[in-house]
Amino acid sequence: MEVIQQLIGRLHPLVVHLPIGFILAALLLQWYDRKNYEWSKIIGILFQWAFIFATIACISGYLLYTAEGYSFDTVKFHLWLGIVTALFSLLMYLRLTAPSKLDFIKRVPVVLLSYSLLFLISFTGHLGGNITHGSDYLIEPLPNSIKSLLGVGPEVYEMPTLEEENWEEAILYTDLVQPILNTRCVSCHNAKKEKGELRLEEENGILKGGEDGLVIEPNDPEKSSLYARLILPLEHEDHMPPKDKDQPSKEELDIIRTWIANGNSFDKSIGEMGLKKELVQAFFPKAKDDTYPDVVVAEVSADTISAIKKKGFHVERVNEESNFIKVSCINKPTFSDGDFELLASLTNQIVYLDLGETQVTDAIFEKISILPHLTVLKLDNTAVTGKNIETLEKLEYLKNVNLMGTNFEEVHLPKLKEFKKLQIVYLFKTPVKKPDQVSKPQEGELLIDYGGYDLPKIATDSIVY
Amino acid sequence: MNSLDRLIKEKLQREIQAKTRRHFIKDCVAGMGGLALGSLFMSCNSFLGNNDKAKIALTERDINPLASMAPPFPAKVKSVIYLHMAGAPSQLEMFDYKPTLHKLNNQACPQSLLEGRKFAFIRGVPKLLGPQAEFKQHGESGNWVSNFLPHFSKVVDEVAFLKAVNTDQFNHGPAQLFMHTGSPRLGRPSIGSWVTYGLGSENQNLPGFVVLTSGGKTPDAGKSVWGSGFLPSVYQGVQCRSKGDPVLYIDDPKGITRNLKKSTIDAINNINKKEFDEYSDPEILARINQYEMAYRMQTAVPEVMNINNEPEHIKEMYGVQPGKESFANNCLLARKLVEDGVRFVQLFDWGWDSHGDSHSNAVDLGLRNKCTEIDRPITALLLDLKQRGLLEETLVVWGSEFGRTPMQENREGKEMAFKGRDHHGDAFTMWMAGGGIKKGASWGLTDEIGFSALEGQVSVHDVHATMMHLLGFDHEQFTFDFQGRPFRLTDVEGHVIHEILA
Repeated sequence: MEVIQQLIGRLHPLVVHLPIGFILAALLLQWYDRKNYEWSKIIGILFQWAFIFATIACISGYLLYTAEGYSFDTVKFHLWLGIVTALFSLLMYLRLTAPSKLDFIKRVPVVLLSYSLLFLISFTGHLGGNITHGSDYLIEPLPNSIKSLLGVGPEVYEMPTLEEENWEEAILYTDLVQPILNTRCVSCHNAKKEKGELRLEEENGILKGGEDGLVIEPNDPEKSSLYARLILPLEHEDHMPPKDKDQPSKEELDIIRTWIANGNSFDKSIGEMGLKKELVQAFFPKAKDDTYPDVVVAEVSADTISAIKKKGFHVERVNEESNFIKVSCINKPTFSDGDFELLASLTNQIVYLDLGETQVTDAIFEKISILPHLTVLKLDNTAVTGKNIETLEKLEYLKNVNLMGTNFEEVHLPKLKEFKKLQIVYLFKTPVKKPDQVSKPQEGELLIDYGGYDLPKIATDSIVY
Repeated sequence: MNSLDRLIKEKLQREIQAKTRRHFIKDCVAGMGGLALGSLFMSCNSFLGNNDKAKIALTERDINPLASMAPPFPAKVKSVIYLHMAGAPSQLEMFDYKPTLHKLNNQACPQSLLEGRKFAFIRGVPKLLGPQAEFKQHGESGNWVSNFLPHFSKVVDEVAFLKAVNTDQFNHGPAQLFMHTGSPRLGRPSIGSWVTYGLGSENQNLPGFVVLTSGGKTPDAGKSVWGSGFLPSVYQGVQCRSKGDPVLYIDDPKGITRNLKKSTIDAINNINKKEFDEYSDPEILARINQYEMAYRMQTAVPEVMNINNEPEHIKEMYGVQPGKESFANNCLLARKLVEDGVRFVQLFDWGWDSHGDSHSNAVDLGLRNKCTEIDRPITALLLDLKQRGLLEETLVVWGSEFGRTPMQENREGKEMAFKGRDHHGDAFTMWMAGGGIKKGASWGLTDEIGFSALEGQVSVHDVHATMMHLLGFDHEQFTFDFQGRPFRLTDVEGHVIHEILA
């Protein structure tokens, strides 16, 4: 029985399109017929069908709701509006065919019913779509700029920050506690909304407490609901912030706990309270990872990546948060200049290219020069001599070039020194002669690693004690 | 509603009580039948039409458990070389310079240090033992290194020291397990397993996690220090030997040629492919893949493990002894493996347990010989990685399971024939070098005699958290579900040691 119920329920997304179609067709016919009133009978029949199928849709929808475990809150508007749509279709049918017993119905203007139905059908449909696909389904493909214009962009929450130089002088309450409350709690607990009669946007409200009394038990965070309710299991009825809201981080919880445990002072600085640096470590501005360019590039689809992998390349995003891509021929020693075309779909994304131990020649430089974001280039143990390497000069992010074990010629070395961002070049095992004196490069200057380090024998090497 | 629930519950209870073994077996049969039916349906393509779908839904990992994956967060390094000196070298003769201890040499240890403490071998009141090495500051960083490590002191600016690492274990086995699995008890995956599980392997012909041992013995804790614990066993370390066959049984048996082997594997794989076409079970693909990988490894592993092809000056730099099992050979191999895309190379060198019970275990004699054994290879490894551009994307970790006491060991309360020190885990030295590491840094400070930490004490978990951080993981989010809860390498502890990060 349950199976049949489920099956009928799951047909709901299909069945609903019948009444939608009938109602829209009927409304369109009404529009065409607005002067002549010749098709009333047909239109009436369409609304009759619409009513019948809307009713079936309602039943299947209800079965879907009970069988799939949706909460009533999620479906309630869709459910009620669906039923109303069915009733309005019936009403319209009666109004148009108007059996003699129901003469009073003639008093309702048809136009009113038409517009109501148009509204009902669009809005009910939209709500239904939201339930199956999620409420951000429609706007999701829009670019972020338009999303933020619409005010639906992803809410970016930024942790309050402290300066590493003067963290001890920061006031724990003003600089950390209140900002945390502001982002996590105040949207419901403020002067306007005051849920649970609690206001958390300033000192008085916090001290006053809510309908259940004080929210701070001095020096006892576990007994203060301002902290205790935050650490209840997510499923617990009393857990705050509500399950579907963003939850405070571990570090933020620590701050609230410590603040209460140390007498919830509203004006003492972190130093005065004698707190340790570890507590606030997480609130120092994070050093930005500057390994790769600070540029946003389009994401390469997983299909594209796996297609290139199939050709033998090792292809990977540099990390899950970035669209930049790392390519290596570690499993493809047969790679030659002509194979470069295989990477065409990754032109914008490649930041790390390892062609070490492959068959490439000097012709590769020009090809590589089309990779605008390339940062690390490995050509070690290949046949390149450095001819045409100047074509890489336009790569404004190129930081690291490995030419170890190549036939790189010394005449091309000055060209590398012209590269703006280039930080290091590896020339171990190349014909380039190591100068007698290698001075340490200044900040921003190119570091050339000639390699060839040796560890001269010393007396103690062979002494056995 | 509540009362209805209760009624239903009561009914269920009754039913359960009324069940006999006979019922159970009968139900089992029905259940088995159901399962069989399910698999029949699965293979019935035309009925469910999900054959194509099943193929698409396969992840790379289903087919190849070692398929490489992007780290979740920006990573500084892609591989790790972990040099573990099994037995616990004395930090007081190598890196942690304590002039005061020199002055207090041969004086009785103050009671305050002994109260409530238990040592592995020290009994009664031991005497303090001054440093048996001469120390100097080296490089631009001015970090202290003893004359036991004359070569290493030249590259001291490449590494970052942790001078106050702390462990709560004082016996080798548990301490080694703790150091490598985050728990002193058996059953947890080793760091290398976690890393290979999280990142996979770049080279398709080599294992992702290779273990090399030297010093004549494997670590006291046994192979569990490179075990995979509750992770799938494919992520455990593969022990390679620098003498004889690199991997046991890697050669084809006598009379089996390479071609015959290839056709055997091809035949098996063809049958497996047919099987897959029929049942669409991803396990079959994984099996096909493993046969192929094993075949490739048969040639790739002996090739990478052969150090004879290296140029003479490189061999000299490391001080290798071809054909023998030596730490120097292993260091050179570690470089070769990392160069070929192996994710995690774990070295163990045995013989650092300087109790003073014999010549080879004396801190002024045997220890010095051990230092000479590793001094050149370690230095060569750092320089060689550097000149190949590999040091910037590799993390080199040097350490042990704990350190040694500032007191001279007095086993059974008696004076011993040689100078030695007992196990001590309160504050010992480790160092790291490579990508993302602040060159020349030193973090942590021990007291005047090097007994305990004054500041910058870090735990084993902190070391792990830092390693994970450099590899692009948040150690708190990198978990594996086992026995009903998520597990992580650092358990519920661990902080990234930012002080040694660039």
